[in-house]
Amino acid sequence: MRTSLRFALALIWLASCLNAFASSLPDTGNLHLNPAWLTLLHYQPDRFGDGYTGQADDDAFYLSDNGKTSPKAELEATLTAITQPGGGNEHARCRFPARDRWLRTQLDLPGHPVNCPAFEEWTDELNTETVTLVFAASYLNSPSSMFGHTFLRLDPPREDEETNLILANTISYAADAAAHDSEILFAYKGIFGGYPGITSIQPYYEKIRLYSDIEHRDLWEYTLNLTQAEVDMMLAHTWEIRDRNFDYYFFDENCAYRLLALIDVARPGTDLLGEVGTHAIPSDTVRWAVDKGLVDSVYYRPSAATNVSHRIDALSDDHQTLAAAIANGYVDADAPEVQALSDEPRARVLDATYDYVRYQSEAEGWPREHAAPLSHDLLRERSEIRGVAIQDGPPEPAIRDDQGHDTFRASVSGGRMGDRNFSELTLRPAYHDVLDPPAGYRGGAQLQFLRLDARLYTDNDEVQVEQLTGVEIRSLSPRNQFFSPLSWQVGFGGRRTDTETNRVFTPYLEGGAGGSWRLTTGTQAFAMATADLEIDNDLRSGYDAAPGADLGILHQNNQFSLLGGVKTKAWIVSNQHRQDQAYLEGNWHLGRDFSLFGKFSREDHYDRYRSTWQLGLHAYF
Amino acid sequence: MKKLIAGALLMGASTLAFAQPGCGVGAMIWKGQSGIAPHVLAATTNGTFGNQTFGMTTGTLGCQTNQSVQSMAMYMDSNIDKVARDMSRGSGENLDTLAVLLGVDEADRDSFRKVLQDNFATIFPSSDTTSGEAVDAIVALLEQNDTLSKYVAA
Repeated sequence: MRTSLRFALALIWLASCLNAFASSLPDTGNLHLNPAWLTLLHYQPDRFGDGYTGQADDDAFYLSDNGKTSPKAELEATLTAITQPGGGNEHARCRFPARDRWLRTQLDLPGHPVNCPAFEEWTDELNTETVTLVFAASYLNSPSSMFGHTFLRLDPPREDEETNLILANTISYAADAAAHDSEILFAYKGIFGGYPGITSIQPYYEKIRLYSDIEHRDLWEYTLNLTQAEVDMMLAHTWEIRDRNFDYYFFDENCAYRLLALIDVARPGTDLLGEVGTHAIPSDTVRWAVDKGLVDSVYYRPSAATNVSHRIDALSDDHQTLAAAIANGYVDADAPEVQALSDEPRARVLDATYDYVRYQSEAEGWPREHAAPLSHDLLRERSEIRGVAIQDGPPEPAIRDDQGHDTFRASVSGGRMGDRNFSELTLRPAYHDVLDPPAGYRGGAQLQFLRLDARLYTDNDEVQVEQLTGVEIRSLSPRNQFFSPLSWQVGFGGRRTDTETNRVFTPYLEGGAGGSWRLTTGTQAFAMATADLEIDNDLRSGYDAAPGADLGILHQNNQFSLLGGVKTKAWIVSNQHRQDQAYLEGNWHLGRDFSLFGKFSREDHYDRYRSTWQLGLHAYF
Repeated sequence: MKKLIAGALLMGASTLAFAQPGCGVGAMIWKGQSGIAPHVLAATTNGTFGNQTFGMTTGTLGCQTNQSVQSMAMYMDSNIDKVARDMSRGSGENLDTLAVLLGVDEADRDSFRKVLQDNFATIFPSSDTTSGEAVDAIVALLEQNDTLSKYVAA
């Protein structure tokens, strides 16, 4: 009895205590549903039901045990924690300075200055006045870069133009892939989750080295028009998520996604995350930032590869030959024919050759025994030429990557295959093919995901899936005396294939490799050796394979694009026969939103000729 | 892959060495990086004029030296080939960055660029010059120069 009385008293005491405590805090009403709070805690509405779930996969990001699923509980726990007396690095106000700052603008909280030495030292070190969104352009010959990449640069107050910006720091969010994971595991975990995503801070010059010098990607710098208060809020929130884990997914919760969240936090109401559908392609995210009026100015930083091409192109033919001879070791850097040039052309030849040798060492792994002494000779000779300043770099492309066509494409067309008429609907969520308007994309590069071609044959009203492309990548890069890239293609999915009596839908895998040569500006001729594999029980052996060849010419310009050529495949397993095809395809670009397209092919297969043609309209949005 | 990891370790070692307080720009920010950073850093430790990893400058320059020199040494470690290029041309953003790190006034920038271009062969006597040796040579050259010596004073 006595015990229970004591227990009851304790309860009463506890309750009154809680009461007193709760009444000291203001009523929060529906504040926990305020978009700014939901953004700060990375809550997303549940797909099923009307609740919310936080995207942080890290208990330390929440103050309440129910924080991951309850914005309200988290808000209450946060209020309690930030109104505790005291300070120091472990205080909630120091761990979550952005939440603290926002709540204090919304509620009248008992305020006293708090001392957070680590956070203050960190922000002092970052010394940020403006924020720049940096976009590393895609480079299709490198599959890992296909989507492009974005990160934020924290710009210090500008004392003199550009110079100190390469010392500025950057914030990026990336998958922390274990070094021993294979490519396949990497792709699997990237798509379905399993890699922690880490926010890291690095000097900009390290990023330049990685993207511009090693990966040959041009960098576009979009300076945002955030105010100092907004910049401070962004940094405070970066501090909160700095060591916290958010699982990384290639397609949606990727590098670009988490940065959009940072911008949303900095300027509540921007809602860049609201633009994200099934996938966040970095070039699209830049587009959204531009559309939302966040961008103040844009600066183009060409990659080492773009630079070296530009410097070589600026040389006369004779000097190009001389540069190639020096680079390959046939002529010394101080040979009489080099010395004979006057200062300016000699400086241009030496500069272009050095940049080329550096590029080849980085890209093609030229051996140090050759590249190092040569590089040193070139620089020593160059240092003897005084008063010839470095030549201007490559001009900024007229159309930026974010100004190219939108990446979702829908098409309607009508056509005729043999003696059957059809109408066709095509949906392609991403990204670009060589016949789409080329402005803002790499020439000769193609990347398509999940493209569906569905046909309605008008003679018997039959609907057929003609092709479902899983992934298709094509990279046609012209070769010349300086560069000898491989052109290649790879794709898989399902498609209609002819079994002589029927057209059946079969899974396929195709690939190819070869070379491409530039004929004139925008025109290249290519020759590829190809291989095809089809698997289906309608095929006699259950599968069939075909080595083959594809010879063609591609022309791209801002008004129209044309692709024509001949293909041959020798099916060798189930039913030995040849399949030969001549094809011509063209797109006429109507601005950046529409293209009219036409295709014609004539095929010799199973000893019969068949023509297919098709006309239609692409819309990009 | 082995090479990558070795690179990461090496970079980690140098980052630690620089992480003592007061050892130059970004010392704190570079401290204790984990996650993707070592992967990225590993890719950025290729040395000058080739694919050999560079001798780190920590051996030759301790924390007691001028902080700006320390910062310059750090910058040279990962950008040596671009610094050498700009130096031979007498202009360029990497050379300007060295000037910023050393705190060279706008008025002295021209003579700074000129001294480095004129003495390129002294700073980089051979293709095996390490970034540490280059930093030592730059410091020695600037010390002998009446207008520029103040920027490297200990």
